Amino acid sequence: MTATVARHPGPPPTSPPRGIHVAGIIGGAIMGFYFVLLLFGSQLAPFRATELAGQSLASPSGTNRLGTNLIGQDILSQLILGARASLLVALLAGVGTVLLGGIVGILAGWFPGWPDAVMMRVTDLVLIVPKLPLLLLIGALTGGSVVGLSLVISLLFWPNAARILRSQVLSLRTRTHVRAATGFGAGTWHQLRRHILPDLTLLSIAEFIPAAGRAVSLQAGLAFLGIGDPTLPSWGSMIRDAVAFRAVFITDAWKWWFAPPVIALVGLTVGITLLGTAAERRLSPRLARHTR
Amino acid sequence: MHPSILRHAAPTCTSQAPEVAWQGGYCSQTVTQVLHREPAPTAPAEPRQRRSRPPYLRTIGLYAITLWAVITLVFFLPRLLPGDPLRQLEDADSGQFIYDTAERERVAAYYGLDKPLISQYRTYLSDLRHGEFGWSISQNQPVAELLKKRLPWTLLLTGGALALSSALSFFAGVTAGWHRGRFADRSLIVVLSTTRAIPEYALAAALLILFAVTYPVFPQAGGQRAFAEYASPLEAVGDILFHLALPLTALTIGLAANKFLIVRNTVISTLGEDYMVLARAKGLSRRLLKYRHSGRNALLPFVTALGIQAGFAVSGSPFVETIFNYPGLGSLVTRAVDARDYPLLQGCFISIAVAVLIANLAVELTYAKLDPRVRRR
Repeated sequence: MTATVARHPGPPPTSPPRGIHVAGIIGGAIMGFYFVLLLFGSQLAPFRATELAGQSLASPSGTNRLGTNLIGQDILSQLILGARASLLVALLAGVGTVLLGGIVGILAGWFPGWPDAVMMRVTDLVLIVPKLPLLLLIGALTGGSVVGLSLVISLLFWPNAARILRSQVLSLRTRTHVRAATGFGAGTWHQLRRHILPDLTLLSIAEFIPAAGRAVSLQAGLAFLGIGDPTLPSWGSMIRDAVAFRAVFITDAWKWWFAPPVIALVGLTVGITLLGTAAERRLSPRLARHTR
Repeated sequence: MHPSILRHAAPTCTSQAPEVAWQGGYCSQTVTQVLHREPAPTAPAEPRQRRSRPPYLRTIGLYAITLWAVITLVFFLPRLLPGDPLRQLEDADSGQFIYDTAERERVAAYYGLDKPLISQYRTYLSDLRHGEFGWSISQNQPVAELLKKRLPWTLLLTGGALALSSALSFFAGVTAGWHRGRFADRSLIVVLSTTRAIPEYALAAALLILFAVTYPVFPQAGGQRAFAEYASPLEAVGDILFHLALPLTALTIGLAANKFLIVRNTVISTLGEDYMVLARAKGLSRRLLKYRHSGRNALLPFVTALGIQAGFAVSGSPFVETIFNYPGLGSLVTRAVDARDYPLLQGCFISIAVAVLIANLAVELTYAKLDPRVRRR
């Protein structure tokens, strides 16, 4: 036990680990696979998502490699085309979250006094609003298209990013180069563009990744509950259809109807998490020590 | 830019592993705590809170405002969106056919829709105060009745899952952190990180397949036996627990991973502290070291995560409850969404929101009790 204690203390590493971590490589590979599905999904899928491609509940065969669902739609095609809903919402909501959080965070950090106070109170407020029920309610009211859903997710989840970016701006403002620029009479816009924004890029990416991951599970969860674009196949709605047909669990159908979308979702989530871990490692060496 | 300057940024949030589950991206600190702890670098005009009022008043105030904002949003949201509640009555097939403007005005007056928005809002608020949530369209019952019937089930499920997952994740976290890098630690991390990536409904369905269909040990659905008449209260409790087992397990697994990682990381960060060396030198027993000295430090972020999770457990239960047809609030939400039953949806939303806010408020107030540093502020 003494060995553990003796090994542990010591100065934190002065520079972050160089190179790309294994987690980053695996995560990147997984994400690359999903992006291929997103970009070339319509070429790869043997059928259209709503097309009746075979018998009802056919087991996997040459034509329907993952079988068919209750109304005879091809599961593999739905699975491939379902990547679009998940990834688009992840990208849009991720960008939206960081953008909104960035605007609020940077302005609050740059303008102390009442603008900061007001914006931070609003941030606190949004932070404690119960989000999933609100998302459900708004989704049910508005229908939940990809863009609409991403917008609502961004509007509800920006406070985390705002907080972190604000404190980074607060810290940057006291750095010598920024103070020097102020001394030379640099204007707000110039300062933000030349000295603040470039230093926020990495942090924004670190915020983007978990935001995208959260959007994936939110989109799938809402689709599972029946909120989403009915014309766009998604893994959440596939799971919903499978579960709604309760006999799916008694027969073998769950193996090709229920399991594939779940595996697709888990794979995507794991991929994003791994990328996030790799990003964290680059950004915060303090943490890398803890999770090694 | 050299990334090392990032270390000056507030690490409270980034230092948690990126979270992707429903618990999504929350940092381990409560709202106002983080605010207080954010580094206030030598920025000249950083506004500080006056110390005249006790800090909890500010917290309670924030929560009261949030509650009001949420309730108001529920009222204005559908009214700001395009659409007209009477339009479908213009259809000749509807039960209450509106055939001319006079009839339309009469119906609008009956529902109070002719009054200005602000007076409708006032009526809405005073109704809420009297526990009046409106009439469920799909269930044809007062919403308040439905809520009252289903709330205990959800509280049982989510409360049980929170308690169970807390106990499990705390002990597992302390143990894993204490033996960090060993086999038990590594395998726990792999298992829990993977389960965290699985959506709750998938987990629930997997349990259902395994333990209710393939090996039919547990019942497939419901909160108790249909038309049950119990001989003794003991039998009733047994039956309810029997039905609770699978949904409880699903929700517990979903909630445990997050807290486990928090406890583990905090415990590891205490291992090299001077007071640990001193305590060890004093010859304290391993159990005391583990729980009193190391584990206790993990209590703060743990309780915070618990408060945030309380909200997510209540709102995450729709998934688990839907799979198991559990008679709680969650499956009611699902049904309300399916039927687009807005009054019911709003009632569910408000009661969930209140539960979430109360849980978070309780945690923030406990936090001050647990952490002397917060109390001093």
